[in-house]
Amino acid sequence: MAKFLLLAFRNIFRNRRRTLMTLFMVGGGVAGLLLAGGYFAFMTRGLRESTIRNGLGHLQIFTADHFNRDEVRVLDTGIDNWRQVAANVKTGGHVRGVAPRIEFYGMVSNGEKSSVFMGSAVDPEAEKSLGFISNVVSGRDLDIKPSGEVEALVGAGLAKSMNVKVGDGLTLLSMTSDGALNGVDVQIVGIVNSGIAAMDARSLCITLASAQRLLQSDRVTNLVVGLDATENTNQVAAGLAPRLRGASQQLVLKKWIDLATYYKQVNSMFNGIFLFMGVIVFFMVLMSSVNTLLMSMFERTREIGTMLAMGTPRAWIVALFMVEAALLGSMGAIVGIVGGNLVGWLINASGLHMPPPPGYTNSILFHVLHVPAQMIGSSLLVIVSLAFASILPAVRASRLRIAEALSHV
Amino acid sequence: MKELVNVEGVSRRFSLDNGQARNPAHSYVTALSDASLRVTTGEFLAISGPSGSGKTTLLNLIGCIDQPSSGRILVDSVDTSRLSPGNMATLRREKIGFVFQTFNLIPVFTAAENVEYPLLIKGVASRERRSRVAEALDGVGLSARANQRPDLLSGGERQRVAVARAIVHRPSLVLADEPTANLDTHNATQLIDLMHGLNRSLGLTFIFSTHDARLLEHTERIVRLCDGEVVSDNSTGGGSRG
Repeated sequence: MAKFLLLAFRNIFRNRRRTLMTLFMVGGGVAGLLLAGGYFAFMTRGLRESTIRNGLGHLQIFTADHFNRDEVRVLDTGIDNWRQVAANVKTGGHVRGVAPRIEFYGMVSNGEKSSVFMGSAVDPEAEKSLGFISNVVSGRDLDIKPSGEVEALVGAGLAKSMNVKVGDGLTLLSMTSDGALNGVDVQIVGIVNSGIAAMDARSLCITLASAQRLLQSDRVTNLVVGLDATENTNQVAAGLAPRLRGASQQLVLKKWIDLATYYKQVNSMFNGIFLFMGVIVFFMVLMSSVNTLLMSMFERTREIGTMLAMGTPRAWIVALFMVEAALLGSMGAIVGIVGGNLVGWLINASGLHMPPPPGYTNSILFHVLHVPAQMIGSSLLVIVSLAFASILPAVRASRLRIAEALSHV
Repeated sequence: MKELVNVEGVSRRFSLDNGQARNPAHSYVTALSDASLRVTTGEFLAISGPSGSGKTTLLNLIGCIDQPSSGRILVDSVDTSRLSPGNMATLRREKIGFVFQTFNLIPVFTAAENVEYPLLIKGVASRERRSRVAEALDGVGLSARANQRPDLLSGGERQRVAVARAIVHRPSLVLADEPTANLDTHNATQLIDLMHGLNRSLGLTFIFSTHDARLLEHTERIVRLCDGEVVSDNSTGGGSRG
């Protein structure tokens, strides 16, 4: 077996220039996949973490009614005794903190012009303790210590359409939990830019206490749970679910991935592109390698005839070509992994930025992650491609008529 | 003496134009016609004749790397015309050694690895392979060149490696197709002496094709072919007649 592998290995280097070209081609395919896959991985990981950090959290707790029916009145599907639930959740392992939230909507007016807003109410202290960021581009974040004024963060698009800036005042109008109309004057302390233009055109954020006064309710829409690491989400969710069953309301635990629709779409798109690239690389390696391996077979016709004449089983000849191809693929994969990682490292060191994608306003850092699973997957892909490419020459070699092969010139 | 090879009325025709010739009589060429031959164990037999007389075809048929169009060939009492390709390969692996005109060594293997190859495909254990390779190379006087690749060996040395490769698995029969054709007189004489010595010392049966007078001088039995037919079968020494 060792001698057989040795023969296959030495055969690869008979025509060094051709082998080198094949290695570059296979390596180029692997490197291309690693760079694209590494960039996609960076994008999806960045999107995942920013989605979580921008307020989604790792887990969210809702009442079951929140998903079963529409609200008749504001917060009538909210969590009642949320402080008790939050305290219970905080005792779990890997939990960094719990932030209560209220989602509401209403009208905002600057005295001359009115517009619809999508409001969220947060506890600034809890949000900060979880590391959630508000992407304030002008002014400051909501104050942890409540002052006399009702502070508000306004989306950049909404601020522009309402023609307001930091320090200006706005009036919010919304329905209370009793169905009455209530209003509150707020002072803009910051302008936020989430990067998503459609969101920034409607978003407005005030403190939880201010919202509860406006909505005349002590309930919250949901509780956002922040963990020490995203990788612990499943473990914490599994441990937390039984503990929520003892609450007075029927509560539902949602993982971030269940709520991150946009992330899932982007992830699916990247996976699709990566798969498509993989298919292209597979056929590229397959088609070019078939030619190389066929040439190698024709050059060795007399030698194969000699081996067959000596009684070498035809299956051995097939195996020899396939092992040669697999070895070539393995070496190409190593070249690709080394080359891909090197280029990736250079790209990362250069600090290149990509233009913002549609719907975004910020440019994106061009960074490549070094993902071991992609290295293994890409390597296997080219090894399998080459093994497939070797089937035709291997079978042709094994079917040579010995007498004709021996007289081949 | 035991009969090792029996060629009974063997013909070999090769089709032309993939059988699409208009006149069926011209659709094939006869390389060997109704040839008969018996070879006993330990013979040193030459098949002689001009180019195109059918020498290589007859050797290929005896060596089970081709099959006759008609007639039959028995090697060690086995009717090779009835064997499957797999069984023919087994027969070649077990009982036949080949020496080719152009040596046909595997260029990426050393001399020792080339000699080892027949043992490798026969499944001989590693330790035994090593000792038999050393013995075979010693037998052809090439122990010192064991680790050289073929491109660093002279023509004579390559052919001696080929002879070592042909005998290392202890076959019943060694077939050599024009073994001295690519050698100068000195190397050809050395090779003839070597083959003769192996024939005498090991009792190996040698059948070779040649029109080299130097080789024919040392041959007890010469079978002459012309236009695919056996035209004479005469012994010059102690070999048996067919």
